[in-house]
Amino acid sequence: MNLIFAIAASVLFGTGAYLVLHRDLVRVVLGVVIISQASVLTLIASGLVRGEAPIAPEPGKPVSDPLSEAMALTAIVIGLAVTALLLTLVLRVVDAYRVRDLHHVSEEEAQHEARLERADAGEHAAEEQAAR
Amino acid sequence: MTAAWIALVIPWGGGIVLAILDGRRRAVGVAAVAGLAVNFAALVVLAVNVFGAEPLSVTTGDWPVGVGITLRVDALGLLFAALSSLALLAATAHEVADGVRERGFPGLALLLAAGLTGVFITGDLFNFYVFFELSMTAAYVLATYGGGRRELSAALVFTTANLLGTFVFLLSVAGVYHATGTLDMAQIGDRMDRVDASTGILIAVGFFVAFSVKLGLFPFHFWLPTVYTGAVPAVAAILSGGLANIGAYGLLRFGAEMLPRELEFAAVPLIIIGCASIVYGGILAVSRRTAGEMLAYSAIGQVGYVLVAIGVGGPLGFTAAILYTVVNALNKTLLFLTLRMRGALVAATFVVGALSVAGVPPAAGFIGKLELFHATAGAPVLIAVFFLGGALSFVYVFQVYQFEFWRSRPSGSRSGRPQQAIIAVLAIVTLSAGLWPEPLLALSRDAAEVLEAVKR
Repeated sequence: MNLIFAIAASVLFGTGAYLVLHRDLVRVVLGVVIISQASVLTLIASGLVRGEAPIAPEPGKPVSDPLSEAMALTAIVIGLAVTALLLTLVLRVVDAYRVRDLHHVSEEEAQHEARLERADAGEHAAEEQAAR
Repeated sequence: MTAAWIALVIPWGGGIVLAILDGRRRAVGVAAVAGLAVNFAALVVLAVNVFGAEPLSVTTGDWPVGVGITLRVDALGLLFAALSSLALLAATAHEVADGVRERGFPGLALLLAAGLTGVFITGDLFNFYVFFELSMTAAYVLATYGGGRRELSAALVFTTANLLGTFVFLLSVAGVYHATGTLDMAQIGDRMDRVDASTGILIAVGFFVAFSVKLGLFPFHFWLPTVYTGAVPAVAAILSGGLANIGAYGLLRFGAEMLPRELEFAAVPLIIIGCASIVYGGILAVSRRTAGEMLAYSAIGQVGYVLVAIGVGGPLGFTAAILYTVVNALNKTLLFLTLRMRGALVAATFVVGALSVAGVPPAAGFIGKLELFHATAGAPVLIAVFFLGGALSFVYVFQVYQFEFWRSRPSGSRSGRPQQAIIAVLAIVTLSAGLWPEPLLALSRDAAEVLEAVKR
């Protein structure tokens, strides 16, 4: 059972990591969501005992660990909230840049850098001139 | 214990109420500053009670011990909580004095304060994660503050990188629970001894990665320059002076208290990563011309010192790490707040911050560096790296000072008096901590004594 959990969690994490490395922003969000699922699955797998659902156990049968399930539930709720936040953020970026992938965003960053450099060089030249 | 509830509940409840109201109205901003002041005052009252005495501990919801979530108020947590609260208070007051531009800001600042206070006083591992996520979520939204394109793309990078960090943290939480069967941070320390070494190392690596992402240590720093230069100065001050403390606190609490054996095992790699961070941050900061970029890379270099001190370990090492974190958070809050301000007083406070970063007396940074040298007295290589880092920081801060304040043509108008008063108070705190370092040293020693690894 542990092996199945481990394989499933690592496949999820790998898939998520692959998606996060994409340039498309929606894929990045999906990647983050899948990685969050990998950690939720690991939380469930970390339970110390396995058995019936702890909410209404039949007497005499083993009960699965309620603590790890409570943790997994909390993690799912938090994951939902941050996913919503992340999607809103992507929406605002798409609105502001009118593009949907990181390539254009980083291009604009680079242009900003170049402008700063040029302004700096210009100022320097002007100062040299003034000094003479 | 009432003070602990006040410190936690006032910013939490206040944050929820203020998040609904329009934060651009002055009254809402002032209410947020008042809430943060209450939070800071309550933490100081707690600190007076706890320092030199036994830590307070309470189980929430009247559950029996071992079932309910414990809050544990000790010297280490309180020092970090008060420090973060001070940074938040200064940055929020600074922004409110300038005029808040978006409706969410005051409420988010309060929620961040609630999250940070919770992170530093909780004694339960999973509860730590919940408060951690509460403060991070507030910070993700704060990073968009200003609403320009640069802020947005910086916030996107910040959110994605840090979310990945928190999920790695969650993996390690699952690992700890499975290996030790408890989530109580005090018990984990005892039970980790019986866990086999390879499992322990895996768990420790997960925590290390998660907190290094928060701190922006060298191989995990990729998000930091974009965010610190893209964000509004007040937000950059909140992130670097308040939020980044989680990283240092986590490394100390998890490394030195819960996983002391793994920390000892990993001492050399930690020191190497720390040195790499110092040199990398220093060299890149020298190559930058604008104050914001310089500070961003300087932040990468400065946390390297903290990591080296943690790697060195022992009472001296941990004291130095705590003291340096305090000094560094003060410096960063002060310097980030001076960005985009003009005037003679601003230049003077920048010099105080610059002296502190470079470790020149009489500023507080000197005491931080002195403790670091004290802790690493037996290792000439480390002392050489510290000197190199110190020399680089001297070059980069004064280079930027020259660019920003000596080049004539001051751009923009003089900033308002309230803002100048705030940075002046921060500068006075930095100076007096350097001139009369005894209280800060005693606090750091007390905080270091909490850690398990020191008791051994």
